[in-house]
Amino acid sequence: MSIDQLSIYLYVIGTGITVVVFYSYIVYLYRSEKRGEKDYEKYGKIALDDEIDSAPVESNPDSVNKNKE
Amino acid sequence: MFHWLEKNPFFFAVGVFLTIAFAGAVTILPNFAQSAQPIKGLKPYTVLQLAGRGVYIKDNCLSCHSQLIRPFKAETDRYGQYSLSGEYAYDRPFLWGSRRIGPDLHRVGNYRTPDWHANHMWEPTSVVPGSVMPAYKHQFTNIADVETAYAEAVTVKTAFNVPYGDDIKPGRAAFDAYYKAKVLPAALKIAKQMKNKDLIAQVQAGKIPEVVALVAYLDRLK
Amino acid sequence: MQSNAAMEYDYSIVKLYMWTTVIFGIVGMLIGVIIASQLAWPQLNYWLGEYGTFSRLRPIHTNVVVYGFMISGIFVGFYYSAQRVLKVSMGESKLLMTLGYLQFFLYLIAASGLVISEGMGITTSKEYAQMEWPLDILIVVIWVLWGVIMFGLIGMRREKALYISMWYYVATFLGVAMLYLFNNMEVPTQLLSGGLGAWYHSVSMYAGTNDAMVQWWWGHNAVAFVFTVPIIALIYYFLPKESGQAVYSYKLSLLSFWGLMFIYLWAGGHHLLWSTVPDWVQTMASIFSVILILPSWGSAINMLLTMKGEWNQLTDNPLIKFMVLASTFYMLSTLEGPIQAVKSVNAIAHFTDWIPGHVHDGVLGWVAFMVFATLMHSAPRVFKREIYSKSLLEAQFWIQTVAVVLYFTSMWIAGITQGMMWRAVDEYGNLMYSFIDTVNVLHPYWVIRAVGGTLYFIGLLMFAWNFFMTATAGRKLETEPQFRSPMA
Repeated sequence: MSIDQLSIYLYVIGTGITVVVFYSYIVYLYRSEKRGEKDYEKYGKIALDDEIDSAPVESNPDSVNKNKE
Repeated sequence: MFHWLEKNPFFFAVGVFLTIAFAGAVTILPNFAQSAQPIKGLKPYTVLQLAGRGVYIKDNCLSCHSQLIRPFKAETDRYGQYSLSGEYAYDRPFLWGSRRIGPDLHRVGNYRTPDWHANHMWEPTSVVPGSVMPAYKHQFTNIADVETAYAEAVTVKTAFNVPYGDDIKPGRAAFDAYYKAKVLPAALKIAKQMKNKDLIAQVQAGKIPEVVALVAYLDRLK
Repeated sequence: MQSNAAMEYDYSIVKLYMWTTVIFGIVGMLIGVIIASQLAWPQLNYWLGEYGTFSRLRPIHTNVVVYGFMISGIFVGFYYSAQRVLKVSMGESKLLMTLGYLQFFLYLIAASGLVISEGMGITTSKEYAQMEWPLDILIVVIWVLWGVIMFGLIGMRREKALYISMWYYVATFLGVAMLYLFNNMEVPTQLLSGGLGAWYHSVSMYAGTNDAMVQWWWGHNAVAFVFTVPIIALIYYFLPKESGQAVYSYKLSLLSFWGLMFIYLWAGGHHLLWSTVPDWVQTMASIFSVILILPSWGSAINMLLTMKGEWNQLTDNPLIKFMVLASTFYMLSTLEGPIQAVKSVNAIAHFTDWIPGHVHDGVLGWVAFMVFATLMHSAPRVFKREIYSKSLLEAQFWIQTVAVVLYFTSMWIAGITQGMMWRAVDEYGNLMYSFIDTVNVLHPYWVIRAVGGTLYFIGLLMFAWNFFMTATAGRKLETEPQFRSPMA
């Protein structure tokens, strides 16, 4: 198989996989929210409530605080 | 899977990298070897021409001049045969340019003489009334950096197998010999064609003004 | 959380980058005005000998504006907003602070080195990658330091979820790193020649068509990862924060992120349509350029809809004006770009003034407006002072908007006029115009462009004054404003 053919196969397969992954991501985003597992829109608040001592939307267990306490 | 990716900065970064690297891998790599092939009979630039190419880059002529003739009738009528990939095989870097404030130069050697260039570089409006190109008078007094051009020739010969002769080899002694035997005579020939006494005198004194090297390069573009 | 009560975000590096943004902005745009005038009035080429010609100044203009003004502005936005969305202060890590200062000073050295070497004509000639190898190495170090700081902050963050702006910063870091490294592969000529010639000179590892492909893969994606991706990061933070409205759809912002990442990189070949690169590469570039409208408009629409129900802010807050017009210009240039990437349009548009016109409605309307908004939003928080003058900001907005419109309309007309004249033939099939005819016809448009550029520059000076006065003489603020930036 020549390199040209190889690149065509690589391209078709690669793009196919990407499209599938991308669309399943869309499905995942909306489904997980519908089921109530996740709430993506709450992350929008990270920008609004961004004082250093305000409560995080999701706390990080590995943050600097842990080392201090 | 997605949930995990959003929470792991490292693997998230890997995912982003793969996504952006995909296009480059597919478009650039496959044709790489083929695009590097020279057309039959293509000679590498002489050291004097390389020095002129250096001047072309130093004064950034590619701000305003392209070296790429596209395959349209209007372009081939104006500039000549459209450009072929193999013609650029020794162009490091490529000098296609991105804006034609002035005309294309890929085959300028076919229809402009060294004499014309000498007048044009000194005072563009003297040969092209209405030209917006600045005069490059400093090129008539600045001395071309032939040594760096020679170093470039040695480098591409060693690293990329560009077919230069055996007299192109590392070291100052080799350069000095080559300069006297090959570069100066070629420069004198161009200076004479440029019909400028001052330039001829400078070359005879062993120094090559930038404009002589530049015109040697432009004259080679055919 | 008690221990954090007295803690504050550390803005010392933000301040440094703010000043370089203003200074490089003035230098870069002043040179822009000069070279625009040189085309309209060529006698202006001779004020500084060989160092003042259009050809020497043009790369200095592009490089200072891109790597001085824009990158500084992006670093302002990063060092300001990354701390805040991660809820961690730079001051909490001595190491990160040291690296931050180091990064800034290396950046200053690299930027000055760039200006000096460009002025002397030391260049690799590749657009937006003109730096020779010693500067290339320095830039890699700066970039790696930035990456270390970014991932350092991420590592110690309190907010577990990465806000969408952080996604875009990470992508900027990775994208530029990959593209820059591959495009600047070069061999120093002293290495193999026994020490002959200039020490800083190098020769590209790629030749001809390959060099062009790699260069425009970089060139176009420098546009992607310097003019677009980090600027989207800025607007996703600063627009919601200034308006007090959360992003309209967070999910849409995630989707357009992945779409943009995948598609952008294909489009580089559209700079090489009708050239000697393989046909299929050109076709792919064309197709993907058109598809690129989707994720671009996804982001832009998301930004505009963020203002839903709060459009009244547009009338009374000049910072919102800047940001909303920025996203509008983003939509304009991401529609214009794909149009130019259609092969038949490109046949006319390529090599003409339409291309610089397109670049400038993007950078002047979108990038620079976002940078102004970023600086002005951060200034009251960083300096704890009110913005010096609202009316000055309003005036700047209108002057610069008119300037951008003058710029791109004149360049559209100039570009299409010249493109059509190059190919015009008479009834016998002979070319109708000599090349110089197609240049001289552009004079009025070049004058309009120079006027537009001058107006934009005047707006920039107003901004610089306003910013300087805010930092030094604005009314002191007791508490940090939550959303809307206070201005007198």
